[in-house]
Amino acid sequence: MTIDMSQFYEVFFDEAEELLAEAERLLLSIDMENPDTEDLNAIFRAAHSIKGGAATFGFMDMTEITHVLENLLDKIRKNEMALTAEHVDAFLAAKDVLKMELDGHRLTTPVDQEQVADVKMMLKSLSEAGGVVISPAPLAVVSESKPAPVKEVKQSEPKSESAQLDAISVLPADGLSRFNIFLPEITEKDAANLKEELGLLGEVIASKQENGRYVFKLTTDSTQADIVSICSFIVEPEDLVITLAISLSTPVSKTADEPTATGKVDSKPSADSKVAIHEEVGYGLFEDGGKEKEEEGYGFFAPFQPHPDAVQTALIGDDTVATEANSGKIEVVAEVKAETVATTPSETPEKKNLGRRESDKAPANAETSSIRVGVEKVDQLINLVGELVITQAMIEQRISMLDPVQHEPLINSVGQLTRNTRDLQESVMSIRMMPMDFVFSRFPRMVRDLAAKLGKKVEFVTVGAATELDKGLIERIVDPLTHLVRNSVDHGVETPDKRKAAGKSETGVLTLSATHKGGSIVIEVTDDGAGLNRDKLLAKAKANGLAVSENMTDSEVYSLIFAPGFSTAEVVTDVSGRGVGMDVVKRNIAAMNGVVEIRSALGYGTTISISLPLTLAILDGMSVSLGNSLYVVPLNLIVETLQPRAEDIKTVTGEGYMVHVRGEYLPIIALHSLFNQRTNITNPTEGVLVLLEADGKKSALFVDRLVGQQQVVIKSLETNFKKVPGVSGATIMGDGSVALILDVPALIQMGQTPNFLTGSIPFSNHNTQFIQNQAMPKELS
Amino acid sequence: MSTDIATNSANLKTSNANVKVAAGEYLTFVLGNEQYGLEILKVQEIRGYDAVTQIANTPDFIKGVVNLRGKIVPIVDLRIKFHLGEVEYNEFTVVIILNLNGRVVGIVVDGVSDVMALKEEQIRDVPSLVTNIDTKYIVGLATVEQQMLILVDIEQLMNSQEMALIDVAVH
Repeated sequence: MTIDMSQFYEVFFDEAEELLAEAERLLLSIDMENPDTEDLNAIFRAAHSIKGGAATFGFMDMTEITHVLENLLDKIRKNEMALTAEHVDAFLAAKDVLKMELDGHRLTTPVDQEQVADVKMMLKSLSEAGGVVISPAPLAVVSESKPAPVKEVKQSEPKSESAQLDAISVLPADGLSRFNIFLPEITEKDAANLKEELGLLGEVIASKQENGRYVFKLTTDSTQADIVSICSFIVEPEDLVITLAISLSTPVSKTADEPTATGKVDSKPSADSKVAIHEEVGYGLFEDGGKEKEEEGYGFFAPFQPHPDAVQTALIGDDTVATEANSGKIEVVAEVKAETVATTPSETPEKKNLGRRESDKAPANAETSSIRVGVEKVDQLINLVGELVITQAMIEQRISMLDPVQHEPLINSVGQLTRNTRDLQESVMSIRMMPMDFVFSRFPRMVRDLAAKLGKKVEFVTVGAATELDKGLIERIVDPLTHLVRNSVDHGVETPDKRKAAGKSETGVLTLSATHKGGSIVIEVTDDGAGLNRDKLLAKAKANGLAVSENMTDSEVYSLIFAPGFSTAEVVTDVSGRGVGMDVVKRNIAAMNGVVEIRSALGYGTTISISLPLTLAILDGMSVSLGNSLYVVPLNLIVETLQPRAEDIKTVTGEGYMVHVRGEYLPIIALHSLFNQRTNITNPTEGVLVLLEADGKKSALFVDRLVGQQQVVIKSLETNFKKVPGVSGATIMGDGSVALILDVPALIQMGQTPNFLTGSIPFSNHNTQFIQNQAMPKELS
Repeated sequence: MSTDIATNSANLKTSNANVKVAAGEYLTFVLGNEQYGLEILKVQEIRGYDAVTQIANTPDFIKGVVNLRGKIVPIVDLRIKFHLGEVEYNEFTVVIILNLNGRVVGIVVDGVSDVMALKEEQIRDVPSLVTNIDTKYIVGLATVEQQMLILVDIEQLMNSQEMALIDVAVH
């Protein structure tokens, strides 16, 4: 790929930023107890998209993080692991790190590599700890008498983590434990409510501390996660401190629990006292590590030099699931709580979110370089500009009737207006355009994985990633294209042995290209694989009961693979048959006014070519005249135009005119007779034949004259009127008059008398029947 | 759409039985020698007759479509539809642009006369008779200055199948 990718960096940054924000929003609103699968999928998709984009642009650091993030998300998504608070915290931390890295790439702000490494490790260890359903965080709280040096030290060694996890998982389900629950400042009423709720779990003793905060002592057989989830109705889980006071039931769990706790307590005071010695504020030896931990967990403050209060808030937040049976510790924690200023009880989640967003945005002013606008606003703008262009054309026409000498200034001004309007229209249209790379960038990884899975060697090449396409179409092309690419890897490219035997290089080449061709964009998926086997296709079609004949053209035979339930694969692999068949691909593309075409040579490869209009709102058309009216023919369906010689016009039984073009006999559709319109030109030799091709069928449309080629704005006839056969819409011409846009596929259908070209009409009828009758699974992909 | 029509015709029946509904302001127009009235609230604007773009394979009274400030609007010639008046198009030909529940349609008439407020006592029931226009589309008859005014339910009429202006609702 020789394209300078840096020109798309900005787009990727925007997209990534958007995805991160979306992921964060979803994470923050997720229901821990009962996470919505859709939400999880959405977060997964966001991570995946960022990964894809980052990989494309070579931001490997972001790819690495998203990769581990994805792994963990995937486990949760597949219900292999229950979603817990730390997961969410870890995800948020990962989000922050990603944001930091993103800013690093974008604004060249420094990236804290240690933090990155920590988050990666956290995600990894979480992902490895799969299967543990309970949720205690492997966090320990160690504190000093001073508020500031309160340190939260996470045990980063997976060993001790799992040891602790084990310790807790030993707790029998029916065993009773006593938890001390330290609440932030809440109203009496809330406290009463909470007490009542907790009362459902077990015995609660509430006590109020001097600073007005409540401490509940709960004796229950429930897990800490249950308590957190109940409390979260009233208080932010981060503001909550729960400690396991005593495990009343089994000595096993007690002993298992205590050593861990003591182990920790033992190890820390020395470290922490060091901290205290070194620096009063507590930013000592361990500070970096500790701070990072906070930032990981609640990195909303990360870009700032943490304000002491903020740090504390974060600290306390992390304390949620501290599991120490150390009463001295409890005191200190309570003390810290009291000192906390930032966490006012009334702080609602919304407020918090707001704060987070703000803090996210603060360091990056560059974000204002793009704005997000609703699509309907853009569409309205495009519409209005379209009207303006028409009005301008009308003025121009009126002006042309004036005496150029007398009205020279006016004519000059109108000339200026014309240029400005044209520029305006162009820029407005470009708002909706996006580079194809948005789609293409998703594929390299997919192809690689797929090839590895299938034991094939595939080289993936993209051409024309900078080609621009309407945003609406870009979004809709992804699925069909994914399908086609997957198909090419699966069915197109052969295994290395087969390729070797066929005298080809072991590595197959899969090319994805996008080019502008006339008024449309042509996207092609090309492989140098086995190609389509005409005989096999025909045999299969016959077996499936499709109406086929040996005389069908190659392109007709190839388009058989678009029939529902049609599979050429001898073996259905897990790569194919993911629910979308080629029929769906075709339908999706047809819905975008696009056309799919297959070219193939047995043994040499297959090209599936999709041609799409650049946008749905504008059509490149050829205007043709008939009598005194104008019609617009979509340019992408015109093969050529010609004035036939008399000897090229043939008839069958004196009717059914045909034209002989380079060895092909094409039916002539006389528009004037189809539309019952009066015209003086009724002999094809006097008029013009427009050769049209749609749905793989060719016809010659007979009109009076070609008028010109122009872009037209498509307007619906059906808004105020009804569907007219043979007409797909209307447009407004330069003089303000209305011209109808011809519906070429319908015209070709209409032009065919029932006994004409019998082969093709029943085929399409058969198709629909086939859809209704077939009970076969869609195995073709 | 079909349910709309159904409820509308239900309304219409009641309005035939009880003329009270018909009281209100009407735009009166001329078709041939007859005076017609339609509810003023349905009128969007009145304009001259412009060149229309013919549409293939439609009845002759559908003249075609015009560009009304970027909207494609069908034009129906009521004179042709009801075989009234001489059909010619000149600078005096008038098109009433109707806005029927968001759907914009233009009708060609011989002339627009007046806007008048009609009280319910001025409006009479329609006797059953055979006309070009189905009497179910006539809300009532009114007498204004010795002249009979035919009040049509223009929305019903335009939405009717015989006008061929909209796709027949699929049931």
